[in-house]
Amino acid sequence: MKNMLAAWALAALTTQAMAWPEKSPESTKPSSAVTASATALAKSVDSAVAAKCKESGIALSPRATDAEFLRRIHLDLVGKIPAIEKARAFLDSNDPEKRAKLIDELLASPDFGRHMADIWQTLLLSKNSTARRLDTGVFVDWLAHQFNENRPWDGMVHDIVMAKGPQDKNPATTFWLSQVSVDNMTDTVCKVFLGVQLQCAQCHNHPFTGWKQDEYWGLAGFFLNVRAQPPGNKQTTSPVVAETKSARNRRNALPESAKMVPPKFFRGEVAKLGTGPEIRPVFAEWLCGENNPYLARAMVNRLWAQMFSRGLVHPVDNIHDGNPASHPELLEDLTQRFKSGRFDVKAFIKGLCLSETYQRSSKPVEGNKEAVIDSYARMPVKVLTPEQMYDSLQMVLGVATGPAARKMAAAGPKGGKGARAQFVAFFAGEEDAEATEYQAGIPQALQLMNAARMNSPAPALKLVSGASDPAVAVETLYLATLSRKPTSAEVAMAKEHAKKMDTPRQAPADLLWALVNSSEFATNH
Amino acid sequence: MTSIIDIAAASGLNRRDAMRLSAAGVGACSFSGWLPVLARAEAKLKSNAKACIVLYMDGGPSHKDTFDLKPESQGAGEFKPIGTSATGVAISEHLPNLAKQMHRIALLRGMSTPEGAHPRAKYMLHTGYREGQGGIQYPSLGSIVSSEIGKPDLAIPNFVCVGNRAYGAAYLGPRHQPLVVNDPSKGVENLKTALGMGQFDKRVGLLEQMEAGFRKEYPVGAGVDHQVNYQRAVTMMKSREAAAFDLSKESEAIVAKYGSGKFAQGCLMARRLVETGVKFVEVNLGGWDTHENNFERVKNLSATIDKPIAALLDDLSSRGMLDSTLVVWMGDFGRTPKINQRGEKPGRDHYPRAWTSFMAGGGVKGGQVIGRTDKEGGTVEDRPISVLDFMATVCTLMGIDHTKQIQTSIGRPIRIVDKGAKLIEVC
Repeated sequence: MKNMLAAWALAALTTQAMAWPEKSPESTKPSSAVTASATALAKSVDSAVAAKCKESGIALSPRATDAEFLRRIHLDLVGKIPAIEKARAFLDSNDPEKRAKLIDELLASPDFGRHMADIWQTLLLSKNSTARRLDTGVFVDWLAHQFNENRPWDGMVHDIVMAKGPQDKNPATTFWLSQVSVDNMTDTVCKVFLGVQLQCAQCHNHPFTGWKQDEYWGLAGFFLNVRAQPPGNKQTTSPVVAETKSARNRRNALPESAKMVPPKFFRGEVAKLGTGPEIRPVFAEWLCGENNPYLARAMVNRLWAQMFSRGLVHPVDNIHDGNPASHPELLEDLTQRFKSGRFDVKAFIKGLCLSETYQRSSKPVEGNKEAVIDSYARMPVKVLTPEQMYDSLQMVLGVATGPAARKMAAAGPKGGKGARAQFVAFFAGEEDAEATEYQAGIPQALQLMNAARMNSPAPALKLVSGASDPAVAVETLYLATLSRKPTSAEVAMAKEHAKKMDTPRQAPADLLWALVNSSEFATNH
Repeated sequence: MTSIIDIAAASGLNRRDAMRLSAAGVGACSFSGWLPVLARAEAKLKSNAKACIVLYMDGGPSHKDTFDLKPESQGAGEFKPIGTSATGVAISEHLPNLAKQMHRIALLRGMSTPEGAHPRAKYMLHTGYREGQGGIQYPSLGSIVSSEIGKPDLAIPNFVCVGNRAYGAAYLGPRHQPLVVNDPSKGVENLKTALGMGQFDKRVGLLEQMEAGFRKEYPVGAGVDHQVNYQRAVTMMKSREAAAFDLSKESEAIVAKYGSGKFAQGCLMARRLVETGVKFVEVNLGGWDTHENNFERVKNLSATIDKPIAALLDDLSSRGMLDSTLVVWMGDFGRTPKINQRGEKPGRDHYPRAWTSFMAGGGVKGGQVIGRTDKEGGTVEDRPISVLDFMATVCTLMGIDHTKQIQTSIGRPIRIVDKGAKLIEVC
């Protein structure tokens, strides 16, 4: 308790979301106050997790090796594996502070924002047939910029909820443009910003939570006047989000289950509205206001899930009394810290990553082999998302992955899908799949094994061109793909394989092929 | 609210009977005279079909210019009806081969569906649910079939889609995703290695060693699933069944019988796949969105489908497969009974209120017409068929309980087909 108070006092010192130095990579160090509050947050995580494991008699796995940490932190913070030189430098460094420094460096990298944008555009934009015509690139850019600038989360959410005007002037409108109906808007706002799944209450009172159908339509009432039309097939002007004069126009678009009730805050009071058509400001004020406990908690749970594969409350957007958190006090504590830290996303993530819990090995030990995943006695093994897979493959196969190249790959010619978007669409799994669940099927495996670019010997030959002897060549290929050095048994295995080759050129290509097709490459362990 | 199950229990029916009652749509409507309803809907359907081929007409074919001609109506159009092998049934003059197959086909002229925009209509006709309903994604019929009656040990996926757009497995998971074949003449993409098979095997051997090592250190489900998936893919590459994707294995006579073009090749591949044990094949044909130049285009499209579908039915029959293979012909919706004169050449617009689909094989009684539209072809006067009726009927013919609930990943129970379906009397 004393610790907690001290941590709050420290957190209170951070009176505003501090500037993270983005432009000069030499000075990626955030302020000492941020580091102090992040360290306190990490301690809080560790004591809660350790206490519960102790209580259940579960042993904790040891600290992850540098290699495990290196690969994990890159995939979690910038969405791709490290470049080979970076991997080598990190593993060879004797600096005791190298992990903390790497966390700061990655949080300051522009790739952090891109990776966050990948995650959040999927959550924020509804996938439906009409929204497919939308240009989502501007929104992804906007999100990336917000996260890189470390906009406080409540401010970002406020911008999104209030967004109006033409899409090319205000990219945040894309959120509304993708939601094709009032119930669609309500569902997404609930899931993403409040962390609750209210959609069952659209047609009937919720069976588990006591949420009434009126509650759903009370919330939906805030969006009845939002007019957001995705562009038509032949439309040349930018689509616009606006407010209609009255809700009546939209009534036809409502499902049969719709109930006309006055706008009411979630689990709260009926809203006091002005006389104008705009009711969104009233909602935005409540959503991002001091008295709404849901926004901070939902984000805390999501950020936890981004690092630890699942929310403290699981499923991540299904927070309700009947579905308690694995560590309820920790969730409460983290929520308070996030709020008193002014919704500082980078500082919060830094805290999580500094924790021993995050830096624990995912290998089981005696005493936690059967442990439930949400004991966090060892790090859960996550499966690479399609975006992480694509970007990591690019790192290995030697294609540029800078922001400009990414933009090209995302846009593609003639407004069609670029290579990255095609890959992501092809590998996309089930919408609400667990992060620990393998989602690819046979067609995806066939592509990774047999597509032309997976079989070109050039990348492997380029990687090993400077290698003085076979052992160094093998080490290079392991570092380039798995970000670790091979064991002696693995070197022996590779040499054994090379003996079977008709020509020496084939050996490195075979090894690289097997490495990128392995489960170790496909997972974040 | 008291459920049908409770009422049934009170009246001495067991749970199974009660499930049947709700299957017959009794739960939703009035209780007077429900027993005869139950008897009529349940008695006639068999569950013969072991596989299903859906011929999907993307864009929405004009019912008045294909299978529901109205020569006396205002927007009659240019085509003449011709007699068929089924007494009293007439179809378009541009479908002469199908006319000879009509004794095998049950025409469903009472299709009446709610969605009039392509993407939403397609979504609903593939999943049975309105897009976005209840805030979740729904699995397509092919994925449902794969998950319910698919053979888990088949070397190739139980759901194959020939054409470039597929509706997926949603909460049923990756094992039931469709395998998409874009171009039937080329088969499955990336099915063959560019290396020699010896080299490929050496690589796979190396990979297997790595997998064993990783699994020892990190014993997690994802690693196992990854390894199993790769093994399935390699098995498929080397399998006898993969030959089903290779049309060059067919005799010239058979290839000629189906005719040329992607759709004809798709029909032939569908037969090969079903023969191999695949449970659900969808063959897609686009181009039916005939807002302009309707008559010329429908005439050409009719020629595209006429010979291949007739050949498919004949071929299935001569191989003794027709009775166990359900063939379904359908589209997004029908087209307006009135002809629009907006463009240079007359066209017809979207029309979901009344349209035609057909079923053949799989125990369906051929030579019959179910449902009737009015003299303009604009309103269903007898036996309207909803999407739910249609989906439930296909499921039942395949021995799938359409009332069954499946848990989504968040544990939410979702019925295979939503409440309110009335089985169509096709058998």
